[in-house]
Amino acid sequence: MSKGEVAGGPGPERDREQLLAETFVLLADTLVDDYDVVDLLHLLVDACVNLLGVTAAGLLLDDQRGNLAVVASSNEETRLLEVLQLQSDAGPCLDCVRTGVPVSVDDLDADQHRWPVFAEAAMSAGFRSVAAVPLRLRTETIGALNMFQGTSHPMPLNDRRLAQALADVATIGILQRRSTHRSAMMAEQLQHALNSRIVIEQAKGVLAERNAVDMDAAFTALRRYARNHNRKLSELAMDVVRGEIDPTTVQIGRRVP
Amino acid sequence: MLEANRAPLSGAAETDILDGWARQLDDSAAEHDSVPRRICLLCVRMLSITGAGISMVTNAGNRGVVCTTDDVSARIEDLQLTLGEGPCVDAAQSGTPVLIPDLITADDIVVDRWPAFIEGAAAAGVRAVFAFPLRIGAINVGVLDVYRSEPGPLLEGQLRAALLAADAAALALLHIDTASDDLFSDDADARSTYQLQVHQATGIVQVQLGVPTEEAFLMLRARAFALGRPLVDVATDVVARRLRFSVEDQ
Repeated sequence: MSKGEVAGGPGPERDREQLLAETFVLLADTLVDDYDVVDLLHLLVDACVNLLGVTAAGLLLDDQRGNLAVVASSNEETRLLEVLQLQSDAGPCLDCVRTGVPVSVDDLDADQHRWPVFAEAAMSAGFRSVAAVPLRLRTETIGALNMFQGTSHPMPLNDRRLAQALADVATIGILQRRSTHRSAMMAEQLQHALNSRIVIEQAKGVLAERNAVDMDAAFTALRRYARNHNRKLSELAMDVVRGEIDPTTVQIGRRVP
Repeated sequence: MLEANRAPLSGAAETDILDGWARQLDDSAAEHDSVPRRICLLCVRMLSITGAGISMVTNAGNRGVVCTTDDVSARIEDLQLTLGEGPCVDAAQSGTPVLIPDLITADDIVVDRWPAFIEGAAAAGVRAVFAFPLRIGAINVGVLDVYRSEPGPLLEGQLRAALLAADAAALALLHIDTASDDLFSDDADARSTYQLQVHQATGIVQVQLGVPTEEAFLMLRARAFALGRPLVDVATDVVARRLRFSVEDQ
Protein backbone atom coordinates (compact mmCIF):
# COMPACT_ATOMS: atom_id res chain seq x y z
CA MET A 1 0.00 0.00 0.00
CA SER A 2 1.43 3.35 -0.99
CA LYS A 3 1.40 6.48 1.11
CA GLY A 4 -1.02 7.93 -1.44
CA GLU A 5 -3.64 5.33 -0.58
CA VAL A 6 -3.27 5.93 3.12
CA ALA A 7 -4.00 9.61 2.61
CA GLY A 8 -7.41 8.80 1.09
CA GLY A 9 -9.08 11.29 -1.27
CA PRO A 10 -9.98 10.88 -4.91
CA GLY A 11 -7.74 7.83 -5.50
CA PRO A 12 -4.15 6.69 -5.31
CA GLU A 13 -3.11 7.82 -8.80
CA ARG A 14 -4.63 11.24 -8.32
CA ASP A 15 -2.90 11.58 -4.96
CA ARG A 16 0.39 10.64 -6.48
CA GLU A 17 -0.02 13.20 -9.22
CA GLN A 18 -0.76 15.79 -6.59
CA LEU A 19 2.31 14.76 -4.58
CA LEU A 20 4.46 14.79 -7.71
CA ALA A 21 3.29 18.30 -8.56
CA GLU A 22 4.00 19.44 -5.00
CA THR A 23 7.46 17.87 -5.15
CA PHE A 24 8.26 19.75 -8.33
CA VAL A 25 7.07 23.02 -6.82
CA LEU A 26 9.29 22.36 -3.79
CA LEU A 27 12.24 21.51 -6.04
CA ALA A 28 11.72 24.65 -8.10
CA ASP A 29 11.67 26.64 -4.86
CA THR A 30 14.84 24.95 -3.66
CA LEU A 31 16.91 24.96 -6.84
CA VAL A 32 17.23 28.71 -6.86
CA ASP A 33 20.40 30.71 -7.00
CA ASP A 34 22.05 29.69 -3.77
CA TYR A 35 20.56 26.45 -2.53
CA ASP A 36 21.89 24.12 0.13
CA VAL A 37 22.93 20.76 -1.32
CA VAL A 38 22.26 18.63 1.76
CA ASP A 39 18.84 20.23 2.19
CA LEU A 40 18.00 19.40 -1.42
CA LEU A 41 19.13 15.80 -1.03
CA HIS A 42 16.94 15.37 2.04
CA LEU A 43 14.01 16.78 0.15
CA LEU A 44 14.65 14.13 -2.51
CA VAL A 45 14.83 11.14 -0.13
CA ASP A 46 11.65 12.36 1.56
CA ALA A 47 9.98 12.68 -1.85
CA CYS A 48 11.19 9.17 -2.64
CA VAL A 49 9.45 7.76 0.45
CA ASN A 50 6.26 9.75 -0.14
CA LEU A 51 5.97 9.18 -3.87
CA LEU A 52 7.08 5.57 -4.09
CA GLY A 53 5.68 4.39 -0.79
CA VAL A 54 8.96 2.76 0.19
CA THR A 55 9.73 2.14 3.86
CA ALA A 56 13.02 4.04 3.89
CA ALA A 57 15.43 5.71 1.51
CA GLY A 58 19.00 6.91 1.69
CA LEU A 59 21.48 8.63 -0.55
CA LEU A 60 25.14 7.64 -0.65
CA LEU A 61 28.02 9.43 -2.36
CA ASP A 62 31.43 8.22 -3.42
CA ASP A 63 33.69 10.00 -0.91
CA GLN A 64 36.60 9.65 -3.37
CA ARG A 65 38.61 7.90 -0.69
CA GLY A 66 37.26 4.47 -1.57
CA ASN A 67 34.13 4.58 0.58
CA LEU A 68 30.47 5.40 0.21
CA ALA A 69 29.24 8.09 2.59
CA VAL A 70 25.62 8.67 3.65
CA VAL A 71 24.58 12.24 2.82
CA ALA A 72 20.82 11.95 3.27
CA SER A 73 18.39 9.47 4.80
CA SER A 74 14.63 9.46 5.26
CA ASN A 75 14.99 8.98 9.00
CA GLU A 76 17.80 9.30 11.47
CA GLU A 77 17.51 5.89 13.09
CA THR A 78 20.93 4.44 13.81
CA ARG A 79 19.78 1.10 12.41
CA LEU A 80 19.03 2.60 9.01
CA LEU A 81 22.30 4.53 8.98
CA GLU A 82 24.19 1.35 9.78
CA VAL A 83 22.52 -0.59 6.98
CA LEU A 84 23.36 2.23 4.58
CA GLN A 85 26.94 2.57 5.78
CA LEU A 86 27.63 -1.15 5.64
CA GLN A 87 27.64 -0.85 1.88
CA SER A 88 31.11 0.62 1.69
CA ASP A 89 32.16 -3.03 1.91
CA ALA A 90 29.41 -4.84 0.01
CA GLY A 91 25.81 -4.25 -0.94
CA PRO A 92 23.47 -3.11 -3.68
CA CYS A 93 24.66 0.53 -3.49
CA LEU A 94 28.29 -0.40 -3.97
CA ASP A 95 27.40 -2.65 -6.93
CA CYS A 96 25.24 0.10 -8.36
CA VAL A 97 28.02 2.71 -8.07
CA ARG A 98 30.61 0.36 -9.54
CA THR A 99 28.50 -0.67 -12.51
CA GLY A 100 26.46 2.49 -13.01
CA VAL A 101 23.26 0.48 -13.47
CA PRO A 102 20.29 -0.07 -11.13
CA VAL A 103 20.46 -3.01 -8.74
CA SER A 104 17.49 -4.56 -6.99
CA VAL A 105 16.62 -7.58 -4.91
CA ASP A 106 12.92 -8.32 -4.48
CA ASP A 107 13.39 -10.78 -1.65
CA LEU A 108 16.48 -10.50 0.53
CA ASP A 109 15.55 -13.67 2.38
CA ALA A 110 15.65 -15.74 -0.81
CA ASP A 111 18.75 -13.99 -2.14
CA GLN A 112 21.01 -13.75 0.92
CA HIS A 113 24.16 -15.05 -0.70
CA ARG A 114 24.82 -11.91 -2.77
CA TRP A 115 25.74 -9.75 0.20
CA PRO A 116 25.37 -11.89 3.33
CA VAL A 117 26.36 -9.24 5.89
CA PHE A 118 24.24 -6.56 4.29
CA ALA A 119 21.24 -8.89 3.83
CA GLU A 120 21.31 -9.92 7.48
CA ALA A 121 21.55 -6.34 8.75
CA ALA A 122 18.82 -5.13 6.39
CA MET A 123 16.47 -7.94 7.37
CA SER A 124 17.04 -7.45 11.08
CA ALA A 125 16.16 -3.77 10.52
CA GLY A 126 12.84 -4.95 9.08
CA PHE A 127 13.54 -4.69 5.36
CA ARG A 128 12.72 -7.42 2.83
CA SER A 129 13.47 -5.83 -0.53
CA VAL A 130 16.01 -3.28 -1.68
CA ALA A 131 16.69 -1.23 -4.79
CA ALA A 132 19.49 1.14 -5.76
CA VAL A 133 19.57 3.53 -8.70
CA PRO A 134 22.74 5.34 -9.75
CA LEU A 135 23.52 9.05 -9.53
CA ARG A 136 25.02 9.32 -12.99
CA LEU A 137 26.25 12.03 -15.25
CA ARG A 138 27.25 10.59 -18.61
CA THR A 139 29.96 8.03 -17.79
CA GLU A 140 30.41 9.14 -14.18
CA THR A 141 28.63 7.52 -11.26
CA ILE A 142 28.98 9.63 -8.13
CA GLY A 143 26.66 7.74 -5.80
CA ALA A 144 23.36 5.89 -5.51
CA LEU A 145 19.84 6.33 -4.21
CA ASN A 146 18.94 3.39 -2.01
CA MET A 147 15.35 2.32 -1.28
CA PHE A 148 14.08 -0.25 1.21
CA GLN A 149 10.73 -1.97 1.43
CA GLY A 150 9.35 -3.95 4.35
CA THR A 151 7.69 -6.41 1.96
CA SER A 152 9.10 -8.58 -0.81
CA HIS A 153 7.23 -7.01 -3.71
CA PRO A 154 9.16 -6.05 -6.84
CA MET A 155 9.19 -2.34 -7.59
CA PRO A 156 6.89 -1.47 -10.53
CA LEU A 157 8.54 -0.14 -13.67
CA ASN A 158 6.95 3.31 -13.29
CA ASP A 159 8.27 3.57 -9.76
CA ARG A 160 11.73 2.64 -10.91
CA ARG A 161 11.59 5.35 -13.56
CA LEU A 162 10.48 7.90 -11.00
CA ALA A 163 13.27 6.82 -8.63
CA GLN A 164 15.79 7.33 -11.44
CA ALA A 165 14.33 10.76 -12.15
CA LEU A 166 14.77 11.73 -8.49
CA ALA A 167 18.33 10.40 -8.58
CA ASP A 168 18.99 12.49 -11.70
CA VAL A 169 17.75 15.63 -9.93
CA ALA A 170 20.09 14.79 -7.04
CA THR A 171 23.04 14.47 -9.46
CA ILE A 172 22.26 17.80 -11.07
CA GLY A 173 21.77 19.38 -7.64
CA ILE A 174 25.17 18.19 -6.43
CA LEU A 175 27.19 18.95 -9.55
CA GLN A 176 25.57 22.18 -10.70
CA ARG A 177 25.61 23.97 -7.38
CA ARG A 178 26.99 27.33 -8.24
CA SER A 179 30.29 27.75 -6.55
CA THR A 180 30.75 31.24 -5.19
CA HIS A 181 33.23 32.24 -7.83
CA ARG A 182 33.54 29.81 -10.74
CA SER A 183 32.48 26.59 -12.34
CA ALA A 184 33.76 23.98 -9.93
CA MET A 185 35.04 20.49 -10.55
CA MET A 186 33.20 17.34 -9.60
CA ALA A 187 35.63 16.60 -6.77
CA GLU A 188 35.04 20.02 -5.28
CA GLN A 189 31.25 19.64 -5.41
CA LEU A 190 31.30 16.14 -3.91
CA GLN A 191 33.60 17.16 -1.06
CA HIS A 192 31.43 20.19 -0.37
CA ALA A 193 28.33 18.00 0.00
CA LEU A 194 30.19 15.50 2.20
CA ASN A 195 31.61 18.10 4.57
CA SER A 196 28.25 19.90 4.81
CA ARG A 197 26.70 16.67 5.99
CA ILE A 198 29.36 16.32 8.71
CA VAL A 199 28.67 19.84 10.02
CA ILE A 200 24.96 19.01 10.14
CA GLU A 201 25.67 15.83 12.16
CA GLN A 202 27.77 17.81 14.64
CA ALA A 203 24.97 20.40 14.93
CA LYS A 204 22.39 17.67 15.52
CA GLY A 205 24.54 16.35 18.37
CA VAL A 206 24.69 19.82 19.94
CA LEU A 207 20.92 20.36 19.60
CA ALA A 208 20.03 16.86 20.80
CA GLU A 209 22.15 17.17 23.92
CA ARG A 210 21.29 20.76 24.79
CA ASN A 211 17.56 20.35 24.24
CA ALA A 212 17.24 16.72 25.37
CA VAL A 213 15.68 15.52 22.11
CA ASP A 214 16.55 12.67 19.74
CA MET A 215 18.46 13.05 16.47
CA ASP A 216 15.30 13.08 14.34
CA ALA A 217 13.76 15.91 16.38
CA ALA A 218 17.04 17.83 16.32
CA PHE A 219 17.25 17.53 12.55
CA THR A 220 13.62 18.48 12.03
CA ALA A 221 14.12 21.59 14.16
CA LEU A 222 17.28 22.51 12.26
CA ARG A 223 15.56 22.20 8.87
CA ARG A 224 12.45 24.04 10.04
CA TYR A 225 14.45 26.93 11.45
CA ALA A 226 16.55 27.20 8.29
CA ARG A 227 13.43 27.30 6.10
CA ASN A 228 11.51 29.72 8.28
CA HIS A 229 14.44 32.08 8.55
CA ASN A 230 15.55 31.70 4.94
CA ARG A 231 18.96 30.35 5.90
CA LYS A 232 21.09 27.68 4.29
CA LEU A 233 20.94 24.50 6.35
CA SER A 234 24.70 23.95 6.46
CA GLU A 235 25.42 27.57 7.41
CA LEU A 236 22.88 27.43 10.22
CA ALA A 237 24.43 24.13 11.35
CA MET A 238 27.86 25.79 11.39
CA ASP A 239 26.51 28.59 13.60
CA VAL A 240 25.02 26.01 15.98
CA VAL A 241 28.28 24.08 16.30
CA ARG A 242 30.36 27.23 16.77
CA GLY A 243 27.97 28.58 19.40
CA GLU A 244 26.94 31.57 17.31
CA ILE A 245 23.25 30.80 17.74
CA ASP A 246 21.50 29.56 20.87
CA PRO A 247 20.42 25.90 20.42
CA THR A 248 17.19 26.59 22.32
CA THR A 249 16.25 29.26 19.79
CA VAL A 250 16.64 26.72 16.98
CA GLN A 251 14.64 24.03 18.77
CA ILE A 252 11.61 26.15 19.55
CA GLY A 253 11.86 28.12 16.32
CA ARG A 254 12.18 31.55 17.89
CA ARG A 255 14.21 33.46 20.41
CA VAL A 256 13.63 32.78 24.07
CA PRO A 257 12.02 35.93 25.52
CA MET B 1 34.10 21.69 -15.98
CA LEU B 2 34.23 18.04 -15.03
CA GLU B 3 37.11 15.69 -14.82
CA ALA B 4 37.51 12.89 -17.30
CA ASN B 5 36.36 9.36 -16.73
CA ARG B 6 37.04 8.02 -13.28
CA ALA B 7 37.68 4.47 -12.28
CA PRO B 8 35.16 2.68 -10.04
CA LEU B 9 35.53 2.64 -6.28
CA SER B 10 38.45 0.84 -4.68
CA GLY B 11 40.30 -0.21 -7.81
CA ALA B 12 43.05 -2.71 -7.19
CA ALA B 13 45.69 -0.30 -8.50
CA GLU B 14 44.68 2.37 -6.01
CA THR B 15 44.76 -0.06 -3.12
CA ASP B 16 48.33 -0.86 -4.16
CA ILE B 17 49.19 2.83 -4.15
CA LEU B 18 47.82 3.24 -0.64
CA ASP B 19 49.53 0.11 0.65
CA GLY B 20 52.78 1.45 -0.71
CA TRP B 21 52.10 4.78 0.92
CA ALA B 22 51.30 3.19 4.26
CA ARG B 23 54.58 1.31 4.22
CA GLN B 24 56.53 4.43 3.34
CA LEU B 25 54.92 6.42 6.13
CA ASP B 26 55.97 3.65 8.49
CA ASP B 27 59.50 3.57 7.11
CA SER B 28 59.89 7.27 7.58
CA ALA B 29 58.50 7.15 11.11
CA ALA B 30 61.99 6.84 12.51
CA GLU B 31 63.12 10.03 10.81
CA HIS B 32 63.15 13.29 12.66
CA ASP B 33 60.65 15.02 10.39
CA SER B 34 57.35 16.06 11.89
CA VAL B 35 54.26 14.15 10.79
CA PRO B 36 52.91 17.07 8.70
CA ARG B 37 56.25 17.36 6.92
CA ARG B 38 56.36 13.62 6.26
CA ILE B 39 52.88 13.85 4.76
CA CYS B 40 54.06 16.66 2.47
CA LEU B 41 57.13 14.69 1.39
CA LEU B 42 54.98 11.65 0.66
CA CYS B 43 52.63 13.80 -1.41
CA VAL B 44 55.58 14.83 -3.56
CA ARG B 45 56.61 11.22 -4.02
CA MET B 46 53.15 9.81 -4.67
CA LEU B 47 51.20 12.50 -6.52
CA SER B 48 53.58 13.47 -9.35
CA ILE B 49 53.66 16.99 -8.00
CA THR B 50 56.60 19.32 -7.48
CA GLY B 51 56.06 20.45 -3.91
CA ALA B 52 53.64 20.65 -1.00
CA GLY B 53 52.95 22.78 2.04
CA ILE B 54 50.63 22.87 5.02
CA SER B 55 49.25 26.00 6.65
CA MET B 56 47.27 26.26 9.84
CA VAL B 57 44.07 28.25 9.82
CA THR B 58 42.08 28.17 13.03
CA ASN B 59 38.45 29.06 13.61
CA ALA B 60 39.71 32.07 15.55
CA GLY B 61 41.36 33.29 12.36
CA ASN B 62 44.98 32.62 13.30
CA ARG B 63 47.13 31.48 10.42
CA GLY B 64 50.65 30.25 9.96
CA VAL B 65 52.84 28.04 7.81
CA VAL B 66 53.45 24.61 9.36
CA CYS B 67 55.82 23.13 6.80
CA THR B 68 56.83 23.23 3.14
CA THR B 69 58.94 20.92 0.98
CA ASP B 70 60.84 23.52 -1.07
CA ASP B 71 61.33 27.24 -1.72
CA VAL B 72 58.49 27.47 -4.24
CA SER B 73 55.94 25.87 -1.93
CA ALA B 74 57.17 28.21 0.82
CA ARG B 75 56.58 31.09 -1.58
CA ILE B 76 53.03 29.83 -2.30
CA GLU B 77 52.17 29.76 1.39
CA ASP B 78 53.85 33.10 1.97
CA LEU B 79 52.07 34.82 -0.91
CA GLN B 80 48.67 33.74 0.33
CA LEU B 81 49.33 34.71 3.93
CA THR B 82 50.60 38.12 2.84
CA LEU B 83 48.02 38.83 0.15
CA GLY B 84 45.07 37.17 1.86
CA GLU B 85 44.04 35.65 -1.47
CA GLY B 86 44.57 32.40 -3.37
CA PRO B 87 43.28 28.84 -3.60
CA CYS B 88 44.41 27.99 -0.06
CA VAL B 89 42.54 30.97 1.39
CA ASP B 90 39.39 30.00 -0.51
CA ALA B 91 39.71 26.32 0.45
CA ALA B 92 40.02 27.26 4.12
CA GLN B 93 37.04 29.58 3.96
CA SER B 94 34.71 27.36 1.95
CA GLY B 95 35.74 23.96 3.33
CA THR B 96 35.91 22.69 -0.25
CA PRO B 97 38.98 21.67 -2.25
CA VAL B 98 40.10 24.21 -4.84
CA LEU B 99 41.66 22.54 -7.87
CA ILE B 100 43.41 24.70 -10.47
CA PRO B 101 45.04 22.44 -13.09
CA ASP B 102 46.46 25.41 -14.98
CA LEU B 103 47.00 28.87 -13.51
CA ILE B 104 47.92 30.40 -16.86
CA THR B 105 44.78 29.31 -18.72
CA ALA B 106 42.46 29.52 -15.69
CA ASP B 107 39.14 31.15 -16.45
CA ASP B 108 38.76 34.90 -16.05
CA ILE B 109 36.84 34.55 -12.82
CA VAL B 110 39.83 32.87 -11.17
CA VAL B 111 42.21 35.51 -12.53
CA ASP B 112 39.93 38.30 -11.29
CA ARG B 113 39.70 36.66 -7.91
CA TRP B 114 43.39 36.21 -7.17
CA PRO B 115 45.26 38.63 -9.50
CA ALA B 116 48.26 39.19 -7.25
CA PHE B 117 48.56 35.55 -6.21
CA ILE B 118 48.51 34.33 -9.82
CA GLU B 119 51.14 36.83 -10.83
CA GLY B 120 53.40 35.90 -7.91
CA ALA B 121 52.89 32.15 -8.21
CA ALA B 122 53.44 32.12 -11.98
CA ALA B 123 56.62 34.14 -11.51
CA ALA B 124 57.80 31.49 -9.04
CA GLY B 125 57.24 28.77 -11.66
CA VAL B 126 53.91 27.36 -10.48
CA ARG B 127 51.50 26.05 -13.14
CA ALA B 128 49.00 23.86 -11.24
CA VAL B 129 47.78 24.33 -7.66
CA PHE B 130 45.52 22.05 -5.62
CA ALA B 131 44.37 23.15 -2.18
CA PHE B 132 42.67 20.74 0.23
CA PRO B 133 40.98 22.02 3.39
CA LEU B 134 41.92 20.18 6.57
CA ARG B 135 38.45 19.93 7.98
CA ILE B 136 36.15 17.63 9.87
CA GLY B 137 32.78 19.34 9.57
CA ALA B 138 32.99 22.54 11.60
CA ILE B 139 36.49 21.68 12.79
CA ASN B 140 38.82 23.75 10.65
CA VAL B 141 42.55 23.27 11.16
CA GLY B 142 44.26 24.33 7.98
CA VAL B 143 45.01 23.64 4.34
CA LEU B 144 47.24 21.26 2.39
CA ASP B 145 48.56 22.92 -0.78
CA VAL B 146 50.27 20.95 -3.50
CA TYR B 147 51.70 22.46 -6.66
CA ARG B 148 53.22 21.34 -9.95
CA SER B 149 55.49 23.25 -12.33
CA GLU B 150 53.63 21.58 -15.23
CA PRO B 151 49.91 22.02 -15.95
CA GLY B 152 47.38 19.20 -15.71
CA PRO B 153 44.75 17.76 -13.36
CA LEU B 154 45.31 15.28 -10.56
CA LEU B 155 44.41 11.81 -11.81
CA GLU B 156 41.84 9.62 -10.07
CA GLY B 157 44.26 7.71 -7.83
CA GLN B 158 46.20 10.89 -7.09
CA LEU B 159 43.06 12.72 -6.02
CA ARG B 160 42.17 9.88 -3.70
CA ALA B 161 45.67 9.86 -2.22
CA ALA B 162 45.58 13.64 -1.79
CA LEU B 163 42.24 13.49 0.06
CA LEU B 164 43.60 10.76 2.35
CA ALA B 165 46.75 12.83 2.91
CA ALA B 166 44.54 15.80 3.87
CA ASP B 167 42.61 13.59 6.33
CA ALA B 168 45.89 12.47 7.88
CA ALA B 169 47.23 16.03 8.00
CA ALA B 170 44.06 17.25 9.75
CA LEU B 171 44.52 14.66 12.49
CA ALA B 172 48.23 15.46 12.73
CA LEU B 173 47.52 19.16 13.25
CA LEU B 174 45.02 18.18 15.93
CA HIS B 175 47.96 16.38 17.56
CA ILE B 176 46.48 12.97 17.00
CA ASP B 177 49.24 10.52 16.31
CA THR B 178 48.31 9.08 12.94
CA ALA B 179 50.01 5.80 12.44
CA SER B 180 49.89 4.52 8.91
CA ASP B 181 47.45 1.81 9.95
CA ASP B 182 44.87 4.47 10.75
CA LEU B 183 43.76 6.44 7.73
CA PHE B 184 45.73 4.70 5.07
CA SER B 185 44.26 1.29 5.57
CA ASP B 186 41.19 -0.40 4.21
CA ASP B 187 40.33 -1.54 7.71
CA ALA B 188 36.67 -0.91 8.46
CA ASP B 189 37.34 0.51 11.91
CA ALA B 190 39.89 3.01 10.68
CA ARG B 191 37.40 4.26 8.12
CA SER B 192 34.73 4.59 10.78
CA THR B 193 36.34 7.88 11.81
CA TYR B 194 34.07 9.44 9.27
CA GLN B 195 30.84 7.68 10.09
CA LEU B 196 27.89 9.85 11.00
CA GLN B 197 27.55 8.65 14.60
CA VAL B 198 31.05 9.94 15.31
CA HIS B 199 30.08 13.46 14.27
CA GLN B 200 26.78 13.33 16.17
CA ALA B 201 28.67 12.16 19.26
CA THR B 202 31.20 14.97 18.82
CA GLY B 203 28.35 17.51 19.05
CA ILE B 204 26.94 15.78 22.13
CA VAL B 205 30.32 15.62 23.92
CA GLN B 206 30.97 19.27 23.05
CA VAL B 207 27.86 20.24 25.07
CA GLN B 208 28.51 17.74 27.89
CA LEU B 209 32.02 19.06 28.47
CA GLY B 210 31.49 22.67 27.39
CA VAL B 211 34.52 22.53 25.11
CA PRO B 212 35.17 23.51 21.46
CA THR B 213 34.31 20.96 18.76
CA GLU B 214 37.91 19.93 18.08
CA GLU B 215 38.47 19.20 21.76
CA ALA B 216 35.28 17.15 21.93
CA PHE B 217 36.49 15.13 18.94
CA LEU B 218 39.84 14.51 20.65
CA MET B 219 38.12 13.45 23.90
CA LEU B 220 35.93 11.01 22.03
CA ARG B 221 38.94 9.44 20.32
CA ALA B 222 40.89 9.36 23.57
CA ARG B 223 38.00 7.57 25.32
CA ALA B 224 37.76 4.97 22.56
CA PHE B 225 41.52 4.41 22.79
CA ALA B 226 41.42 4.14 26.60
CA LEU B 227 38.55 1.64 26.43
CA GLY B 228 40.23 -0.28 23.62
CA ARG B 229 37.01 -0.06 21.61
CA PRO B 230 36.32 1.06 18.05
CA LEU B 231 35.59 4.78 17.81
CA VAL B 232 32.26 4.19 16.09
CA ASP B 233 31.07 1.89 18.91
CA VAL B 234 31.87 4.47 21.58
CA ALA B 235 30.17 7.13 19.46
CA THR B 236 27.07 4.95 19.07
CA ASP B 237 26.92 4.56 22.88
CA VAL B 238 27.16 8.34 23.29
CA VAL B 239 24.36 8.90 20.76
CA ALA B 240 22.21 6.21 22.46
CA ARG B 241 22.87 7.95 25.82
CA ARG B 242 24.49 4.83 27.23
CA LEU B 243 27.71 6.74 27.76
CA ARG B 244 28.12 10.28 29.10
CA PHE B 245 31.18 12.45 29.31
CA SER B 246 31.50 14.62 32.41
CA VAL B 247 34.00 17.27 33.32
CA GLU B 248 35.02 15.33 36.46
CA ASP B 249 36.11 12.31 34.40
CA GLN B 250 38.54 14.26 32.29
